[in-house]
Amino acid sequence: MPMSEIADAAQPRLAKGVRLHSDSATGKSVLLFPEGIVELNETAHEILVRCDGRTVTEIVQALADDYDADQAAIAIDVRETLAGLEQRKLIELT
Amino acid sequence: MIAPRPYALLAEISYRCPLHCPYCSNPVGASLREAPRHPQVVGYSNGELTNDEWRRVIREAAALGVLQIGFSGGEPLVRPDLAELIGAARGANLYTNLITSGIGLDDERVHLLRDAGLDSVQLSFQSDESSLSDEIAGARAHQHKLDVAEKIRSAGIPLSLNFVIHRHNIDRLPQMIELTETLGAERVELANAQFYGWAFLNRAALLPTREQVTRAREIATAAKARLAGRIDIFYVLPDYYETRPKPCLNGWGQRYLTVNPMGDVLPCPTASSAIPDLRFENVRARALDWIWRESESFNRFRGTEWMPEPCRSCPQREIDFGGCRCQAALLTGNAATTDPVCEFSPDRAIVDAVLRDINSSSGHAREWTYRVNPRAAEPFG
Repeated sequence: MPMSEIADAAQPRLAKGVRLHSDSATGKSVLLFPEGIVELNETAHEILVRCDGRTVTEIVQALADDYDADQAAIAIDVRETLAGLEQRKLIELT
Repeated sequence: MIAPRPYALLAEISYRCPLHCPYCSNPVGASLREAPRHPQVVGYSNGELTNDEWRRVIREAAALGVLQIGFSGGEPLVRPDLAELIGAARGANLYTNLITSGIGLDDERVHLLRDAGLDSVQLSFQSDESSLSDEIAGARAHQHKLDVAEKIRSAGIPLSLNFVIHRHNIDRLPQMIELTETLGAERVELANAQFYGWAFLNRAALLPTREQVTRAREIATAAKARLAGRIDIFYVLPDYYETRPKPCLNGWGQRYLTVNPMGDVLPCPTASSAIPDLRFENVRARALDWIWRESESFNRFRGTEWMPEPCRSCPQREIDFGGCRCQAALLTGNAATTDPVCEFSPDRAIVDAVLRDINSSSGHAREWTYRVNPRAAEPFG
């Protein structure tokens, strides 16, 4: 899916039936869904904990602020990660 | 050997079931007679684990690293304490799946299960319409399942439909996919019967022809592309038609464990009936952690040490793990041999003979034996 399809104003949320979970055996973040488990990297984890109704623009802004990082670079990471998760139906964009 | 950590527990909370599907993977002639009796416990005098025992199993599984639990059977809804067990699993932070025929679900129970924290339901269907479905199930169930699917949807619980595919329904794959769309499910499993338990007994009546399998694969592939992003379609081939074995369980004792109704802990649900010479441990006698790490049954086929040739020197040995131990045992009488589905297996001729028989023009068995319920030691309740 081309990254350009994710609108700035889109509000990403975990898809129905998907839960964000902290795996106590590894300390890592995982997504749980019917018959499946996906281990998240740190970037995906940081993005997903901010998917609470905020728009893509707001998530990028929040991450740039929290990590004192370059917004343009963060925006690329966020869009790439969200596109990957959306393709796997792990998040919904509303 | 260092044991890996398990990810998923299949909790077969009862072998009792209102349906009689001839492809059931439960053991044929399962008996609850030998199970240890706990006369002091009220409610389950038929050998099944009690509510307290299941709660302990759930806690121990979570401590071992398990993240997902599937409540299955038999029919898990026959246990009146199902909602309580789901609540206990959610309390232990597990993702909870219910794998059910839907028989026994009404609005009230659906809400009870949802409020207990049920994450997802996999609802079985026998086909897309009543007459064939009810014939396969050996019970009038199809119409009720349609109603149940609607109730699950309106309660907001994610829904998968599970179709077991075989010679008598495989030609209706397009209609099954249509039903999945109509019912608004997010996910569908179109899984050809795998030949264990009752399905092994009824194999001659269930195995589809090569022509049917080829067509079904094309239909599933096309539907997958058409519905991408809307419905997840999982199509599972009948492995007899493959040339390489399935990576059964991702390896013995690697990611999954099953606890059966009487508390036996199994690397896979069919192991106890398919591999009679392996002694399985019971949660009434041992801690789950010890059984997973130390027991002979979990270590027997762990890793690659147990492998004979041609597996031992095969570059695929860490990809398919030599296939399925139960299938090796059922077809050759020896669980420690290459899955005969593999084209390199010295026993591949056994599978080929079965396929020749099914695909020959001469008449083959059409009748199946319906699954019957295990006999309890004494009447339930």
